[in-house]
Amino acid sequence: MKEIVRTEGLTKRYGEVCSVNRLDMCVSEGRVYGFLGPNGAGKSTTLKMLLNLVTPTAGEIELFGQRMSARSRRSILQNIGSLIESPSYYGHLTARENLEILQTLLSVPKANIGEVLRIVRLDGQEKKRVAAYSLGMKQRLGLASALLSFPKLLILDEPTNGLDPAGIQEMRELICSLPKAYGMTVIVSSHLLSEIDQMAEDIGIIANGRMMYQGPLNRLHETDKTKSLEEIFLDLTGKEMSL
Amino acid sequence: MKALLFCEYKKTRRRWLFPAALLLVAAKLFWALRGHYDAFALKNGWMMLLYQLPMINTIFLPLLAMLVSSRLSDLEHKGAMFKQLAAVCDKGKLYDAKLLYGLGLTGLCMMIDLAVTIGFGYASGFAGGAPVGLYLIYVVFTAVPTLTVYCFQYMLAMCFQNQAVTFLTGIIGTFAGLFSIFLPSVWLRRLLPFGHYGALQFVGLFGWTKVERYANATLEIMTVDWGFCLVSAAVAAALYVLGRYLFVKKEW
Repeated sequence: MKEIVRTEGLTKRYGEVCSVNRLDMCVSEGRVYGFLGPNGAGKSTTLKMLLNLVTPTAGEIELFGQRMSARSRRSILQNIGSLIESPSYYGHLTARENLEILQTLLSVPKANIGEVLRIVRLDGQEKKRVAAYSLGMKQRLGLASALLSFPKLLILDEPTNGLDPAGIQEMRELICSLPKAYGMTVIVSSHLLSEIDQMAEDIGIIANGRMMYQGPLNRLHETDKTKSLEEIFLDLTGKEMSL
Repeated sequence: MKALLFCEYKKTRRRWLFPAALLLVAAKLFWALRGHYDAFALKNGWMMLLYQLPMINTIFLPLLAMLVSSRLSDLEHKGAMFKQLAAVCDKGKLYDAKLLYGLGLTGLCMMIDLAVTIGFGYASGFAGGAPVGLYLIYVVFTAVPTLTVYCFQYMLAMCFQNQAVTFLTGIIGTFAGLFSIFLPSVWLRRLLPFGHYGALQFVGLFGWTKVERYANATLEIMTVDWGFCLVSAAVAAALYVLGRYLFVKKEW
């Protein structure tokens, strides 16, 4: 299967602290890749490096077969939609107006706005100012903005944060449907084991900036049949995971 | 760039930024033009304005720069939008677009300010016509320090999430700039971007005394310091380059 994301020895240091340590990540095309790890494991930093929001201290990033550099950055990022650390958007504008700004910057058809609002089920709320939105509605708007260009790769950092159980279920179903419906590859990060277990086909487990396991989720289930999935995670991360 | 500028306009809708800036201009005009105009003031009205306006500009134009730059940056900080924008467009171009849009708004306010001031001069019956050449110099000598102050304030507003930094610097800078005008040494005036309005003042009042007041007073052209105007422009360019570098280097 074609690899859409590949990192080699990806490292990020903040002074003495090594946030991401020689990380080799592989994401195959058309799959949902769950990026799992405890709080502070280095998930968000890794995803930010993929989006060129944070400059790696060392290592290489290859996306869509192109090495990330100042020159290739623009053409690579055009194919990526992202939701990182839940932005709260321009509160004085409506959802449609917020999306119009991104639509202008991305140079995508205006019709996409209606389409993504429908996908995330905000089409009845599009004229309301975002300041009046609940956290869950803002998350949906975040997903809508990530989907706006119908990108080849979608990077979602803890997309279910702030959602109620029904919203989490809905978001899960939506994320799982994206590869089939639009041919997207999805990287979704979470510190919740149960969430990744229900969404991802492939999984990367990160702890203390290091990749502890990477591969199909079902293979992980089979590694040690005497242990539960939770126990395997605990063994790998050496930390208490949220279940 | 066109798309980025258009987006800046879209973002400021319903933020009342331009009306707020106009309110500040109105306050400045009220302060600058109010009062009783006696025979001396009417005879020397145009020169009197060129003498008085740099000091009033030292107070109001940095406040205008602070207001526009911090409001434009705050809407991105508040919504944590820089991460989102940096993932879809070039950070350097984003910095440039916001700078151009803010400078455009500030420039528009300054043009309105100048138009009202000149209109007021004619309506009040100032002797003779407005000295176009001197007013063109005034425009340049006001625009360049404003550009310098704006670049400084904008750099702070974009790099610091907490806009109190921009506000405090703006207020302290304004006071320091105003204070520097009354000091005999020209160096503090030149050192502080906020004091450049005073450093570039080219009309002086001579012969005014407490007792005789304007009886023997004259308003005369002093040195037109194009050299320092270029220095001020160079400081603006340096602040722009530094601000852009810091913003692009910043990790979100």
